[in-house]
Amino acid sequence: MSAQTDSSRQNGADTAISIELKDIVQEYPAQDGGVSRVVDGINLVFERPGINMLLGPSGCGKSTILHMLGGVRPMNAKTPTSGSILIDGIECDDAHDDSIMVFQRYANRPDLSVFDNVAFPFSLNLWKKRVPESDWRKRVTGMLESVGLADKKNLRPSQLSGGQNQRVALARALVLRPRILLMDEPFGALDAQTREEMQLLLIDLYKERPCLVVFVTHDVTEALVLGDRVIVLSTQPARIADDFTLDAPRPRSASWQRSDEAVQFEKRILAQLHKAPGKGSVRVSV
Amino acid sequence: MGAAKGMGNFWNPYLSPASSQRRAIGVGSVASVLIIWSLLSVTGLVSPARLPAPWDVVRAFGYLAWHDGESMLFTATLWSAGRLVVAGIIVVSFGIPVGIFMGASPRINAAISPLVDPFRSAPVVALLPILVMWLGIGEAMKIAFLFTGAVVYLIPMVRDSIQAVPQSYWISARDLGATPWECIRKAVIPMAMPRITDAVIVAFSVMWTYITVAEYVNAKAGLGQLIQNARRFSAWDQVFAGIIVIVALALFTYHLMVWIKRRLYPWETQQ
Repeated sequence: MSAQTDSSRQNGADTAISIELKDIVQEYPAQDGGVSRVVDGINLVFERPGINMLLGPSGCGKSTILHMLGGVRPMNAKTPTSGSILIDGIECDDAHDDSIMVFQRYANRPDLSVFDNVAFPFSLNLWKKRVPESDWRKRVTGMLESVGLADKKNLRPSQLSGGQNQRVALARALVLRPRILLMDEPFGALDAQTREEMQLLLIDLYKERPCLVVFVTHDVTEALVLGDRVIVLSTQPARIADDFTLDAPRPRSASWQRSDEAVQFEKRILAQLHKAPGKGSVRVSV
Repeated sequence: MGAAKGMGNFWNPYLSPASSQRRAIGVGSVASVLIIWSLLSVTGLVSPARLPAPWDVVRAFGYLAWHDGESMLFTATLWSAGRLVVAGIIVVSFGIPVGIFMGASPRINAAISPLVDPFRSAPVVALLPILVMWLGIGEAMKIAFLFTGAVVYLIPMVRDSIQAVPQSYWISARDLGATPWECIRKAVIPMAMPRITDAVIVAFSVMWTYITVAEYVNAKAGLGQLIQNARRFSAWDQVFAGIIVIVALALFTYHLMVWIKRRLYPWETQQ
C-alpha cells in the first residue's frame, strides 16, 4: 500500500496504469477429492484507460479473475494457484487500494442513508487520512448529482429500486476516484430497460473521469455496447478465446447494434463460445 | 365456498388476522383459563389447599401490595429488579464483547466455545451450591448466579449474530480499504446490532426465570424470597400472586426492550 499514497494518484490526475496478468492458473479442491481448474493460463495486459469487457458464459471463472485483480480473497484456497498479477509492475497478492469493485449484489448498507452509503469509505482510516471532511462532503454531494440521486440522499436503500441501489454502489466506488474500476456483472440482475439506463450512465461517468475499467459480463450485447476491448473467455477452465478492440463511438445506439459491424462481432463472439461448449450460458439482448 | 375460504385462512401462516381480532382471541383464551380455574374452585373439585381460587389470589395480591402502611410487593420488586439490572449490566458488558470476538475470529471461537456452549444445555441451577461455596450466601452469589445463567445464552447468540452477517459486507468494506478489524467494527457489528439486541432481550428473560432460584438462598428481600416465604406458611394464594407478578414484570421488560429495539433499528424490518 505504501507505493500508492503519493498525491497525484489520490486525485486521480495521473491515469496512466498498467495491469499485467501472467500465466494465471486457479484450481480449487473438487468435491470428488480431486482438483478442478477454473482458470487456465490467462495472459493479459491492460495499459491505458478504457472499458475492457471480460465476456464469458456464466460460471466460467471470469469473476474469479476479477476478484484476483481486486485483491479480494475470501476463499480458503490460495489465489491464484500459480502465475502473478502486476499492477504498475508491482506484484499484487493482497488487498490493495488501486482498485474498487462494484458487485452484482450491491453491498449497500440497509442501516445507512444513501448519502452515508456513498460516504462510507471516508469513515475508514485510510480515506479519512487522505481526504479532509469538507472535501469529501463536496465529492459525495457531487457524485450523488452525477448519478441522479441528489434528491434521494436521505432515503434508505430499502426505499430505492434495484437500479437506484446500483447507482449508490457505483457512486460509492467512483467517489474514491479509483484508477481501476472492477465491475462484476453489476447490471446482471436489473431489468432490460434499467440495464440500458445504467450502461448510459456508466458511459457518461467514464467520460467525466476515464479510468481503467474491467467489466465482467455474460451479456454479448452489453460487451458490444460498452467495450473498447472485448476479451472472450471459454468455459471452465477459462481460457482466452478471442480478444478484439471496438472503435465505434459511444453511446452506441440501437441502430449501431443492428449495423454490419456489430452483427459481425456478435457472430464472431458466438462462434467462439460455441466452439468450446460448456454448461454456462450467455445472453444476447437485442 | 365461505367455509372453505375460512379454513384456507386458518392454515395460512403468512396471513395474520386484524390486530383487533388477534387481541380478542388472546383475551378469550386467557379468559377461558380463568373461567375453568374459577369453576374448579367454586365446585370444590380441587381443594383450596392445592389450588387457591382466583379471587383469593387477587386478595393476596392486594394484601402484598399494601398493608400496615407498607408495600411488600413494591419493596420485593425493587430488590429483584435491582439484582437483575446489576447482573444485566455485567452480562451485557462482558458477554457482548466476548461474543463479538468469537464471531469475528474462528480461532477465538474455537478456544472459547467449548467453555461456553455446553452450559447452554447444562443445569445452571446445579451450580448454585458451588457459587454459595465460593461466594457465600450474600448478594455477590445471587448476582453471580444470574450472570452465569444469562451469559451462557448471550455469548453464543451474539457470536451467531456476527456470523450471520452476509460476507458481502465484509468483502465490500475490505475492498474499499478497511483493515480487517475496521470491517468488523464498521460493517459487521452495525449490521449485527438488531440480532445482538435480540440476544440481550433473551438474556433478560432468562434472568427473570432464574430470579426466584437466585433468591431461594438467604434472601432478605425480593420476589423469590417473597414466594419462598409464602410457601413456607402454605399461603398458596400469595405464591400464585408472586408468580403472576414475576411473569408480568418479565413480559413488561420484554415488550419494553422490543419497543426500544424497533426504535433503534427501524431498518431491520424494511430490508
